[in-house]
Amino acid sequence: MTEVGASAVPAVEVTGAGKVFNPGTTRQVDALVAIDLHVGPGEFVSLIGPSGCGKSTLLRLVANLIEPTSGSVRVNGKPAPQARLDQEYGMAFQQAGLFEWRSVVKNVELPLELKGWDKGPRRQRAMEMLQLVKLGDFAEHRPWQLSGGMQQRVAIARALAAHPPLLLMDEPFGALDEMTREHMQAELLRICGETGTSVLFVTHSIPEAVYLSDRVVVMSPRPGQITTVVPVDLGSDRDLDTREDARFFEKVTEVREALRGHEVDELELARGIGDV
Amino acid sequence: MTVRRLLWAVIPPLVFGVVFIGLWELAIAVFDWKPYFLPRPTKIWGQFTDNIDLVRSSATVSGGNALVGLLVGTVLGVGVSFLLMRFRLLNDMVNPLAVAVNAVPIIVLVSVFSNMFSVTSEVPRRLMATLVVYFIVLVNVAKGLRQVDRAHLELLRSYAASPVQVLVKARIPNAVPYLFTALKISAPAAVITAFVAEYFGGSQNGLGSRITSNTTANTAAAWAYVLGACLLGLTFYLVSIALESITTPKRGASPGGGTTT
Ligand SMILES: Nc1ncnc2c1ncn2[C@@H]1O[C@H](COP(=O)(O)OP(=O)(O)OP(=O)(O)O)[C@@H](O)[C@H]1O
Ligand SMILES: [Mg+2]
Repeated sequence: MTEVGASAVPAVEVTGAGKVFNPGTTRQVDALVAIDLHVGPGEFVSLIGPSGCGKSTLLRLVANLIEPTSGSVRVNGKPAPQARLDQEYGMAFQQAGLFEWRSVVKNVELPLELKGWDKGPRRQRAMEMLQLVKLGDFAEHRPWQLSGGMQQRVAIARALAAHPPLLLMDEPFGALDEMTREHMQAELLRICGETGTSVLFVTHSIPEAVYLSDRVVVMSPRPGQITTVVPVDLGSDRDLDTREDARFFEKVTEVREALRGHEVDELELARGIGDV
Repeated sequence: MTVRRLLWAVIPPLVFGVVFIGLWELAIAVFDWKPYFLPRPTKIWGQFTDNIDLVRSSATVSGGNALVGLLVGTVLGVGVSFLLMRFRLLNDMVNPLAVAVNAVPIIVLVSVFSNMFSVTSEVPRRLMATLVVYFIVLVNVAKGLRQVDRAHLELLRSYAASPVQVLVKARIPNAVPYLFTALKISAPAAVITAFVAEYFGGSQNGLGSRITSNTTANTAAAWAYVLGACLLGLTFYLVSIALESITTPKRGASPGGGTTT
């Protein structure tokens, strides 16, 4: 797709991974079983599935915030723990998780600060990122002075700040209004296109997954597993018109069918596909 | 806007205070209460101004004891809470104990301390205030250092932050409001402890001992020292609030997590 940052090494390589919480107790949960997931360099992959199917858990395995019970996780060709130490990824969680004692711009600076950047370049990069998420005027505000959606945008700016080769995002646009959401989706695609960043993206929205992704990975719960992978060949220059494209709707239907467990009744289909 | 809010905060209690003192004065005239039962506010004020030098010097003694206790107790409390955070086992042993100690009136220990030092020594009183402050600060700061938002810890882990960086970027800033809460509780507590410790004997130089020595002979004078004690306690409290407001941004003064732009 792009030359910059593109290499033969896969961004994410999960092989036969499983995660059991509280093993051997009555609260044992098989959160994930036999997960095989591949994210190529510069590729955008979405995880979609009903609540509790293990999307966040899978993301946290890749981020090495938790260890797999079985199988292996590699990021940019390195074992997950090493990749985390080498800061191979940036992460945006379901909750913004901003530090309330820091100003907005200082929140965005944090990952750079920990990497040992000097004050000048740090501030400059953080301001660029804030402009990107259209919050340049709020740099000196405190997080609690921002709405939930604005806080989430700060968290995205923070995840992007160090220009990591891989982005791990857990429903980052969930708290945004439709207009901001579409703007952020377009921006994310633009940034990733320009920088060759690979993305593993969790969402609940079928149109969002289809619009953003090269591939949509459909998961099902109890135990959490991957049921279908839907390739989305809509090309790399997607814009607002893409959402009106017939092939876009085809893909939305395909993902929805996969989510329903393949049994789609004709009536439901006839009722239309726009009402997600 | 803020001036108006300030007025709204000050005027109602002020009006209440004036009315209360007026009723007090009136009740004594109407019911003919004897001065040894309850002296007139005007009389107390007279005693207060007449003895202002003595009130001031006694307040310096009691206030000094409270201040020493507050400073030493805070330093010790903060220091030990860092140790507790570092060593989990130690925390599990000490923390429940500290919580329990906060719930009992350890002021009674002052008579034990008095036996350990000479009669005129201020050390037992300072020790007592230190101990009271120490436990309040310890419990609160230890909580602040430990109860860090899980999302913050995960984020720092994803940045491969070292334990020292986690301490500096997350734990310590998180504990700062807890420290100020502890100071707001322990500043008045230190003053009260300093007064009450004087009730248990020793030199007759502080506000507490002047209250006890005047209760029978000159009730109005005793009340004048009570007034001094109130003012001293209030001063400690106000200073701790002022410290808090200049060091931490005022959260309540700004819009919440709504949709304000
Ligand atoms: N730390 C944990 N301890 C025990 N069980 C956990 C833990 N984290 C997740 N689980 C369990 O693992 C399963 C998957 O959780 P996960 O958060 O990954 O779901 P999800 O797909 O992200 O759901 P949602 O869409 O609601 O965010 C759930 O059954 C959950 O209860
Ligand atoms: Mg989740």
